[in-house]
Amino acid sequence: MNVLETLPEELGTDNAWSEKGRAHWLTCDGLNVRDLAKGLIEHQARFITITAIQLPDDEGIRMDYHWDLDGQLLGFQFLVANNQIESIYDLCEAANWIEREIHEYFAVDFLGRDYEPLFLRKGDKPGVNLREEDE
Amino acid sequence: MSYKIPMGPYHPALEEPYKLDLICEDETVVDAQLHIGFNFRGIEHLAETRNYIQVIPLLERVCGICSNIHTLSLCQTMEELLEVTPPPRALYIRVIMAELERLHSHVLWAGVAGKIMGFKTMFMKCFALREKVMQVLEAISGNRVNYAMNRIGGVNRDILHPATVLAMVEALESEMVHTIIPVFTTSTTALSRCAGIGVLTREQAIACGVVGPTARASGLSQDIRKSAPYAAYAEMDFHVPVETAGDVRARLLVRALEIIESCNILRQALTKLPVRPVYTEIEDIVFPTGTATSRVEAPRGEVMYSVSWEEDSDNPSRVHVRTPTYANMPAVRWMVIGAQLGETPLIQASIDPCYSCTDR
Repeated sequence: MNVLETLPEELGTDNAWSEKGRAHWLTCDGLNVRDLAKGLIEHQARFITITAIQLPDDEGIRMDYHWDLDGQLLGFQFLVANNQIESIYDLCEAANWIEREIHEYFAVDFLGRDYEPLFLRKGDKPGVNLREEDE
Repeated sequence: MSYKIPMGPYHPALEEPYKLDLICEDETVVDAQLHIGFNFRGIEHLAETRNYIQVIPLLERVCGICSNIHTLSLCQTMEELLEVTPPPRALYIRVIMAELERLHSHVLWAGVAGKIMGFKTMFMKCFALREKVMQVLEAISGNRVNYAMNRIGGVNRDILHPATVLAMVEALESEMVHTIIPVFTTSTTALSRCAGIGVLTREQAIACGVVGPTARASGLSQDIRKSAPYAAYAEMDFHVPVETAGDVRARLLVRALEIIESCNILRQALTKLPVRPVYTEIEDIVFPTGTATSRVEAPRGEVMYSVSWEEDSDNPSRVHVRTPTYANMPAVRWMVIGAQLGETPLIQASIDPCYSCTDR
């Protein structure tokens, strides 16, 4: 049995993988992003990035966490409630810059960490440097 | 007593703006802080205002060195959303362009590294050779920097005379094997400036999530061309060089060996080029709602694109680009800790940083 087959059970979910294009996706209802990161790190998965997507019609923000496991691209989608989600930076140093970037672009608050500016310059505010300039 | 030396944003050794604050005790670096974003361009946001034709040249300008890789990744995501498969010849031409771009990038890096080492002859040699690689790229695409080769469903231009391109590649290979690679692998000047400095251990490389030659020089055998082949890489026979020392010398050796492997891949692709066409005709482009991802092995390491579309829109609703320097740069902090101040420019250069990509 390979890790892909055992991982959902290890994470405590009955959800199954769906394969779309070049990635395996797991629905993350009820999953905790930190438990997911811990589980993947245990299996020596490599963190790639987080993609934040503003959903249409005020549906909020979706965060796609991308990891590589032995060359397989794994994707995990989380819907962000109240623009807040737990940080995984303390578990995974590689997530540092992208969490700071998403905080600046989308004003998402990654709980449990401090921020230093990444792309923001003096006087800029999080969440306005990209998305809301035309509003 | 410790003191801080700010290096940048006008960097003494590298061409692009970023800042490294080095905390030193005497001449030993004890910590470092990195600052980027001096040329932030908001390309991801701009992409949301461009249609599926316009977005390709826009993303080509993320980087002036690996411009082809960006359009390749983007087109792969759009092809996945549209369920379009490029013809075999297009996939081979994509491999040829990607490997020529790798050659050009690695030789450019070797020249810059030579300059920082104080090895100016090497700098001159590399830049003369790089010019020849660019001539091959120009012969194929008509362009020297932004090649405009990729389109949805294939490539824009055919390689009409593969034997001529093959002869140019073999001449390049001969020159590289007889000049650049021996110097970088045996020269006392080069090796003594690089050995044992800027070490990134395997454990640190995993924690930082580094990619490309930086990862492979720290003992991690990861290469998207092998682990998740795209274009025609599954049909190419090549080796992924890995070194374990994790120092600047290991990064230099990995790139030198990759130059040889790129020539090997180019020879195979040019010899086995399938028959035409070079793109798939698409009658009506209508994107469905969805997200597609694509990963490719750029000269500096893995590039990942995540592209989302809303049904019936001509513009993407989100384009996210994770570039290799974005993954590699934070690791420089660990590489410079313990180094002598004078070694830090070469250590920074050893990851082949690209701030154009990072500040996309």
